[in-house]
Formats: sequence, C-alpha cells, structure tokens
Amino acid sequence: MQIIEEISKNRIKKSASGSMLQKICLDKLQINPLPNHKSELWRMANKSKLARFLDYKLNHDFYKPNIPYENESQNVIRLIIGDNKKINIKEQEWEIKELDDQKILNLIQHKLLESDTTENWSALLNHLLTEKKNICGLNISGKNLPHLEIITNSKNNLFNSRTLILNIEKNTEVEISQINLGDDNCSLSNSSYLYLGEDSQVNHGIVSYGKYKSHLINSLNVFQKKNSVYNLGSLQFKFDFARLEININQIEGNAKTNIKGMQITQDNEQISTYAKIAFNGPNGFLDQLNKSLARDRSHSVFEGLIVVPRIAQKTDASQLSRNLLLSNYAKIDTKPQLEIIADDVKCMHGATISQLNENELFYMRSRGLTLEQASKLQLRSYYQEIISFLPISKERWDLLALLLNKK
Amino acid sequence: MKSKKETKKPLLEIHDLFASTENLTILKGVNITINPGEIHAIMGRNGCGKSTLSKIIAGHPSYEITGGKIKLSGTDIEPLEPEERAQAGIFLGFQYPIEIPGVSNLEFLRVATNARRKFLNKEELDTFEFEDLVKEKLEIVKMEPTFLDRSINQGFSGGEKKRNEILQMALLEPKIAILDETDSGLDIDALRIVASGIKKIANENSGIILITHYQRLLDEIKPDFVHVMANGKIIKTGNSELALELEKNGYEWTDKFIDKT
Repeated sequence: MQIIEEISKNRIKKSASGSMLQKICLDKLQINPLPNHKSELWRMANKSKLARFLDYKLNHDFYKPNIPYENESQNVIRLIIGDNKKINIKEQEWEIKELDDQKILNLIQHKLLESDTTENWSALLNHLLTEKKNICGLNISGKNLPHLEIITNSKNNLFNSRTLILNIEKNTEVEISQINLGDDNCSLSNSSYLYLGEDSQVNHGIVSYGKYKSHLINSLNVFQKKNSVYNLGSLQFKFDFARLEININQIEGNAKTNIKGMQITQDNEQISTYAKIAFNGPNGFLDQLNKSLARDRSHSVFEGLIVVPRIAQKTDASQLSRNLLLSNYAKIDTKPQLEIIADDVKCMHGATISQLNENELFYMRSRGLTLEQASKLQLRSYYQEIISFLPISKERWDLLALLLNKK
Repeated sequence: MKSKKETKKPLLEIHDLFASTENLTILKGVNITINPGEIHAIMGRNGCGKSTLSKIIAGHPSYEITGGKIKLSGTDIEPLEPEERAQAGIFLGFQYPIEIPGVSNLEFLRVATNARRKFLNKEELDTFEFEDLVKEKLEIVKMEPTFLDRSINQGFSGGEKKRNEILQMALLEPKIAILDETDSGLDIDALRIVASGIKKIANENSGIILITHYQRLLDEIKPDFVHVMANGKIIKTGNSELALELEKNGYEWTDKFIDKT
C-alpha cells in the first residue's frame, strides 16, 4: 500500500499554506494509518479493494478529463478542480468568490479535530494528501445563479486527491452538480464540505462514474443552518470500489433535507453508501431514499443512521432503502438505523430487497414486449426516480442512456 | 358446439387442457373452440379456474400445462413465450391491470404496438405516427390524451385502468382477446364505455372470450356461447339464455352438471 507507506515514513510533501491542516491529519493517521475494520463504518469494506485503493502513486498534477460538452453554456459554470481556473464573479443578483486559506482552514479543521480517526478516516486521508492547488473553496451568494458544475477526475495508475468547500450564504439558492470521474486503474479521494446559511436552498447532485478498476472514496459533509433546504441526489456506478460517506448536520434544527441516492454494481464491484443525518435542533425534516441494484457477483452496501437527541423534538425523518438483486451471486447489505432520544418525533425507516417485479414483467410481456425490453423499461423506471432528482441536465450528461446501454 | 362461421378454421382450440401451479391441479380437462367472429362468455364461481385459464393461454410463467393442447390458428402455443403469444395475436385483458410507476404509458403502448406490427410484417411506427394512431384509438374508449403522459395505470381509477386495457386491445388488434372480469369495479357509465369499445373492436376475423360473473356485461355484449366452469372444467355450454338462467338461479343450479367422478 504505497500511500500508507508514504504516511508511515513521513514522506508526504507538505504545502506551506496547508501545513496546519496536514499536520492535524498526519498526527492522527500516523497513529492509526488504516480504519478499524471492527467499526460499523468499515466492517463491510472489502479489505483487498481498500488496499488496492491505497496502492497507487500519489499524484498532484492536473490532467484534463474527457468530458462531454466542452464549452460552458450561458447557464452553466464548469469548474475542474486542479486546473487553476480563477473564479471570482460578481453579478447584480449573485456572487461567487474564492475562499482564502484561513477561511478554508476554519471551515474544515473543527470537523477534523472533533471526531475519531476511524469515523473520519476518509477526510483525514484526503486533507493530508490534497495539495493547495487541488482544493477548491468558494463563497456563493445570491439568487438566479448559473448552474455550478464541478468536476473531479483521476489519472490512470495514479492516486488523486481533491477537496471542495462551498460556503452558501444566507438566502442563497443554487444548483450544484458534482461529477467524479474515475479513470482506468486509479484512485480518487474526494472530500466536500457544504455550509448552508439560513434560508438558503441547495439542489446538489453527485454523479460518480468510473471506468475499469476505478476506486473512489468520497466524503460529503453538510452543515445546515435553520430554514435551509438541502436536496441531494447521488448516483454511483462502474467503480471496482466506491464509497460515499454522507454526513449531514442540521445544526440548529428547523431545516429540511431530501436525499435520493442510487448505486449500481456489477461484476465483482463493491459500492457503498454510509449516511449519517444528525438533528441538533427541533423541527428538522428528512426524507431519504437509497436504491441499489446489484448484478453478477457484486456487493452493494447501505448503512444509514438518523440521530435525534433530546433537543431535536418534533423531528420528522424517514429513511428507506430499496434494493434490486439481479443475480444469485450478488450481495446486498442494508441497514437503516435510528438513534432517538427525543420523545416527540416522527421517525421511520425500512429496507426491501427484491428482484424485478414478475407481475410487471408478465404484464409487459403479455403485450408483446420481450423479456429484455420489459426489463429495460422496468429498470428505466427504477433509475428515473433518482435521475430526475439530480439537478443535472440531460443535454449535458445523459445518465439514463449511460445506464441503460450498459449490461 | 355449432359455429356461425363454420367455413373458417378455428382461431383458438383448447383440447383437454390440464394445468397446475405449485403442484396444485387447477384445470382438469378444459375444452373450448373459438371460431372467427365469435364471442364466448365464461362464467363460474370464484376459484373455479376461469382466471387461471386466461393466464395459461397468455403464457403466465407460474402455471404449467400438464396435459392437453392450446392451438392458435392451428399452431400449438405451449412452446411460445408470453411475448410470442401476444405478438401472434393473443391478448389478455387483466382483471387487475398492473401499475408500473415510472414507465410511460405512451412509450409502453408504442413498443407493444410495434412488436405486434413487426409480427404482422407491417412497418413499425415512429413516435409521431404512433401518436396519430393512438389518438384515434383513444376515441374508442373516450380517454383523454393526458392518460398517455402518465405512468402505466399509476393513479388510474378502476374504470380508467379497464379502459386502458381496451385501448391496448384496440391498438394490438388481437386474433383472440380474453377479457378477465373487465366489468368488475365499473359503474354503469364506465361499463357502457368499455362494452361499446369492445364491440367496436370486435370483428369477423377475431374472437373474444369474456370472463365475467355478471349478466350486466352480457346485456351490453351478446355472446354467441356461454360456458359455465366448475372445478377446473367446462360443465355446461349454451347460448345467451344460459347466462340469464344463471342470473336467475345462481351457480347452485349448475352443480347438477358437475361430473362427480
């Protein structure tokens, strides 16, 4: 594991401005360079795939990814993290400006200091390995903003690390799509932080799309102030090993979170989603649906946790995991959980694992559709529910076609 | 059984059909012959095997034919998959049409229509051509074009679902349509619309099997033959008078025709 060796032997190059952050991470990781596999968060992780994730040479250089629609349209601002593009735009109704190093440090370090290594291992690793030029920090304010498309990518046979920090100011409304592109035989570590100010609304889409033997660990940390609305749609597919860690903190309650996510696995892949939603004030709302579809000998994991302490009275939260198992050899592990102390709340959770609905298939076949056509229509509907929730235009990323043209 | 189209070959022949599901024998020797232009009604108590018969003809994978034959225009259909039977001209109108969230009704109807057209060596229709065709067929069941934009049967009322079944029948122009309790759950107006749609689609070259419990559908669509089913067999066949007699005397009256052996 090249990366762990670099950490153990203290050979990670420290950047001047990020040294404080890197020091915190290095101290923690040198004590525990790998996550504890006995912990619930890492128990299901495939050890050999995790080892492979860590077994590429660390790379800080920028490689232009192959992406559709090279040109920005009037309504889209495209950023590729690491390409050194400066973003400081001020219009009449909105403004996007880069965050300075101190502000970035302030926004991240409290999160890194407060939690234990295993719980926060992915973020610690990310901040240790990400050079300053691969950190994108933006302050966003206003309304009627153009769509923000943020791309992270990796180069084959290398380990790449990127960080995104977005400070969304009070009363701001914005749509952000984050595309994580995995190359052949590579690893990508990505950490994102979104701070939602009061009365702000963010529609956030994360699409992680790999290639042959791509590896990804993606940690997402969202902090919501009161009356903010955070809508997250996520889609992960074609990674040999991928992990999305969602941590949402409604820090004052009185906020809304809607999440619809999907992961699709095939061959021998393992894709996981870990979601922790913490309500730290009253009247919080959550509606979460996580879907997975597993083929061949693949493995899909979902673990969800809703935390409702005493202060979070009148919380209304729902977490549902719906799964399609399309092979006798595929495996799905799903575990939505509730941790409730408050006594006046409405919380529900549930999980289903099924195969394609036979009654639906027969109905379509009885009208002359072949089994393949009927299955494709059924899958289309299964996918569509999530894809339609992603704030990503079909014209730029035709995700449905991408998914349906696969096996 | 005397046919009014004696000179034509039978469309559907069911001969001594035995079928089971999960080791339970449900059909125990069913015999029916449908000639072009004929309308047959099958009546009988709940659980007598009517719906099972319809599903077996359509090729439902949960049922197994353990004896006998089903022929469509002289060809044994047992080896055919459900979609091959549908393409060849068998249509099953479901008692409980399935809701399929997220799948557009319009897209589904277009793919289904083109599958049938391909079998008939007709040119497949593109989206615009199909929209013209489907709008014309919507008239038959008095449906609004907005139905097409919705997911298959999702959020449809009972009547809308049944009308959607008849719309599919109109588009697919089957040789044999088996309508399984198409009248159940319909109010008087909806029943009339559905019955009128069926009558408009019926023609000299196709056959219809109406599975029903009630005379009210047969008041709207007069069958050429009425069969009473019990215990997995046809126990009595007659004309439309038989249905009236059943309405008057109930199924107990037919028990005497059950072969106790």
